Amino acid sequence: MNRSRAILRKIGWAFFTILFVVILNFFLFRVLPGDPARAGIRDPRLKKEAIEMLRVRFGLDKPVINCFEALNPIKLGSCAVNPLDTQFFIYVRNLAQGELGVSYHTNRPVADILSERLWNTVLLIGAGQILSIIIGVIFGVFAAWKARTAIDFTSVVSSLIVWSLPTFWLAIILLFWGSNNGLPLAGKATPGASSLPLLQQWADIGRHMLLPTITYTIVYMGEYTLIMRSSLMDVLSEDYILTAKAKGLSTFQILKDHALKNAMLPLVTVIAINLGFTVAGAIQIEAVFSWPGLGGAVFEAVGRRDFPVLQGAFLLIAVAVIFANLIADLTYSYLDPRVQTE
Amino acid sequence: MDTTAQVTEAQTQWIIRLLNFWRIFSRNRIGLAGLAMLILLIFVAVFAPLIAPYDSSSSASVKIGDVYNPPSSSHWFGTDDAGQDVFSNFVFGSRVSLTVGFFAAFISIIIGGSLGLVAGFFGGRMENFLMRFTDIMLVIPDLPLMVVIVALTKPSLLNIIFVIGLLGWTTTARVVRSQTLAVKSRKFVLRARAVGAGKRHIISRHILPLVMPILVVQAVLVVSLAILNESALSFLGLGDPTALSWGQMLNYAFSRGAMSIGAWWALFVPGFGIVWVVLGLTLLGQGLEQILNPRLDTHHLMPGRPIVRGDAGEASEKNSLLEVRNLSINYVNNGKPPARAVENISFSLKEGELIGLVGESGCGKTTLMLALLRLLPSAGQIVNGRVIFNGKDLTTLSEEEINVVRWKDISIVFQGAMNALNPVRTVGEQIAEAITKHLPGFPRDQRLQERVIELLDLVGIAADHKDHFPHQYSGGMRQRAMIAMALACNPQVIIADEPTTALDVMIQAQILELLDSLRKKLGLAIIFVTHDLGVVAEMCDRVLVMYGGVTAEYADVDIIYNDARHPYTQELLKAFPDLTKPKKKLSSIPGYPPRLDALPVGCRFAPRCPQAFERCHREQPILHKLNNPQSAAHIASCHLLEASK
Repeated sequence: MNRSRAILRKIGWAFFTILFVVILNFFLFRVLPGDPARAGIRDPRLKKEAIEMLRVRFGLDKPVINCFEALNPIKLGSCAVNPLDTQFFIYVRNLAQGELGVSYHTNRPVADILSERLWNTVLLIGAGQILSIIIGVIFGVFAAWKARTAIDFTSVVSSLIVWSLPTFWLAIILLFWGSNNGLPLAGKATPGASSLPLLQQWADIGRHMLLPTITYTIVYMGEYTLIMRSSLMDVLSEDYILTAKAKGLSTFQILKDHALKNAMLPLVTVIAINLGFTVAGAIQIEAVFSWPGLGGAVFEAVGRRDFPVLQGAFLLIAVAVIFANLIADLTYSYLDPRVQTE
Repeated sequence: MDTTAQVTEAQTQWIIRLLNFWRIFSRNRIGLAGLAMLILLIFVAVFAPLIAPYDSSSSASVKIGDVYNPPSSSHWFGTDDAGQDVFSNFVFGSRVSLTVGFFAAFISIIIGGSLGLVAGFFGGRMENFLMRFTDIMLVIPDLPLMVVIVALTKPSLLNIIFVIGLLGWTTTARVVRSQTLAVKSRKFVLRARAVGAGKRHIISRHILPLVMPILVVQAVLVVSLAILNESALSFLGLGDPTALSWGQMLNYAFSRGAMSIGAWWALFVPGFGIVWVVLGLTLLGQGLEQILNPRLDTHHLMPGRPIVRGDAGEASEKNSLLEVRNLSINYVNNGKPPARAVENISFSLKEGELIGLVGESGCGKTTLMLALLRLLPSAGQIVNGRVIFNGKDLTTLSEEEINVVRWKDISIVFQGAMNALNPVRTVGEQIAEAITKHLPGFPRDQRLQERVIELLDLVGIAADHKDHFPHQYSGGMRQRAMIAMALACNPQVIIADEPTTALDVMIQAQILELLDSLRKKLGLAIIFVTHDLGVVAEMCDRVLVMYGGVTAEYADVDIIYNDARHPYTQELLKAFPDLTKPKKKLSSIPGYPPRLDALPVGCRFAPRCPQAFERCHREQPILHKLNNPQSAAHIASCHLLEASK
């Protein structure tokens, strides 16, 4: 019973965080000077009627929220306006209906643009995360097991080195290398590949994914190596490992049956906390490889000052990270028997 | 006059602390490498105009042919898209990156540090609110938020510094808060509060100095993150166009055709700068962290040290099951001389016999027991002696061979109150594991489960607890489960290492009774490690009294109780209530056992011995064999016995 209450609390907390992000997202784009619509409206060439039309189109004729007509510069307004007729409420209502506005650049609904791209990012991050975790765990286990040897020192130092690589720079280097080795340089698929049989289409996507995934894996595996190493070192100094050794179990059996699960539990939490950072990596990788994901959308939106897309992408990324965090948190409490029964 | 003297004294103390720190730091290779890398880079940034072969704004006379020139003698790393010297821009770029890194980190550290300090120090609602807010900010992905804010404001260097600084404080706040919490409950802070010191005084004089080291490590990390973030923002096209940072150089090169021209120099060189500074900071942070939280970096799976088998002497007794002869164990202490934890211990054990191993904490009892099964930590080394079990010398066996002896022939009951059972596997699984390991022919079906239930039943644990996890057991149950596990493979010897400490008296009695009845029922030989002489009197056949790693006295239990010859045994007995003489006054032995790294030159007990004389402080006594008519072996190490012999 306690457990389901704890789960409910976590879910409630995640929703509260999402609410915070939603509000933050709304006000950021109203408070900061680069407000999308207004920037356009300030254009001296526009006639008065055109400005009014634009204002109505973007809903800027309505007060931002009760008591405030505008926020930058602050202009107080009536507090008695119908709250349903404020920009804030309209924004929230649109969000609830899955509407994120219209792209300045393509005039398509932002929600449509981003929903296509969300899965490409999930694909890239998923593949990269899985690979970097597997490799990181393997290196970390070896480093901890062979602690204070050359293997340990090498893996620690090389982990620190890959940790220090700027993601986009590694991506550039790999792209440079790939361009000399006949690998595809941009995008997710070769143009016209959709007419090919399914298997060849997949192979084509795989070839496009190769470099971005390698970049991602290299950048994040160092951190997982270090965390796995220190976590396993802690576990291997526990009394129950001595018990296992006294029981005559071989090193392999001890690692497999007594150390790995215990050492990987903290890793789950770290993976969750890391998700926010991995998105940062995805933006850079997608920018370099023109990968059609959310990060790429952010990059393009910045270049084109396409604010609705930027706003929508930020919201989607933040919500996705919050959800992934929640899932990792719940997984942890499911995996650890100590949490389960408490 | 007085004040200047004070100031200089404070300064000297400061200098001494700094020198001390440097002494430790200079031995840390990783930290030193990082510091060297950073110093070199700061040098480059400061003297940029002298180092760079071209002025930073020398694009005035650029001709079309100057663009993307490969490295040559006039341009070591070629030219970029604007025809500028890449190396010169690289040198000047270090200034931008370092400036952003240090100023942004400064903001983050101030915010994170004060939030963490306030939350940790004041606690309550304030803490709850601040930490909840920190949690939210921690979940929101940093870089996308930075991108949004910088895109909506002017991409100036100042803006970038503020945005990175204002968003990079979350981890610092958490780290500082937990450190503040830890420091807050320390004695001297509580004392300062008790005498009514003001909050500001406590924070600035008592808490801040102890939070500061962690804050410094954190700051190093935050600077490196700020530099990485700045370069990413610049690369994404959100950098200050007037300040050519390394990220900005890469942005220009990447977006202006360096890739298609194959101008690798314009793409690679700026990145090296980022890697250099971030790696330098990371190594420095790692080194500082290692100094701040020194970890032993040892664990139970590290290979043991090679065993040295010196002259162990002849067997003293025939037909014994387990015989330990002149066993000596050192703890290797890097650099310093080894600590002699156990020296020349001999004893023997017959089938069904119970031997008590008695001594104060830290006298080498556990070390000795671990050495029997070669379970010493990696710093421990057997430097002399033999452990003969059933005619086999266990010190000569290979790792595979000793694994067969472990648990199958000799098992250990560790202190169950400690963490001796794996917390994430059920007790039943852990017992069954021993059976399947050592009895490979044992059917792995229902009969294995029945055997586990039978073992649990033997120690009085109900069958329905089989699939429970250790934390669902009480301390006494865990101890009994440990005994059940030790019995799983029908061993000939059980080592019980203080199995009842940390348990309450009733449970202690139950467990002792259980062990004794099992011994009678199953014919086990038991080595019982304890500091409770009462238990010894009741159960043991023979007693080995250890002091400071050496044998004080070794004899049958009756002799120990009625005719103890070593002053230490005599003092121990005085400290123990005798039911036959209820009026007798109890006395304790003043002082503490010697530290293993600072053993006395002479007899190890001499500093606390009421009968010590001049020779005891000078010369270590040898083991004297006493001709006691009642016992074959009565051994004690004391200079007093030489005269009486």
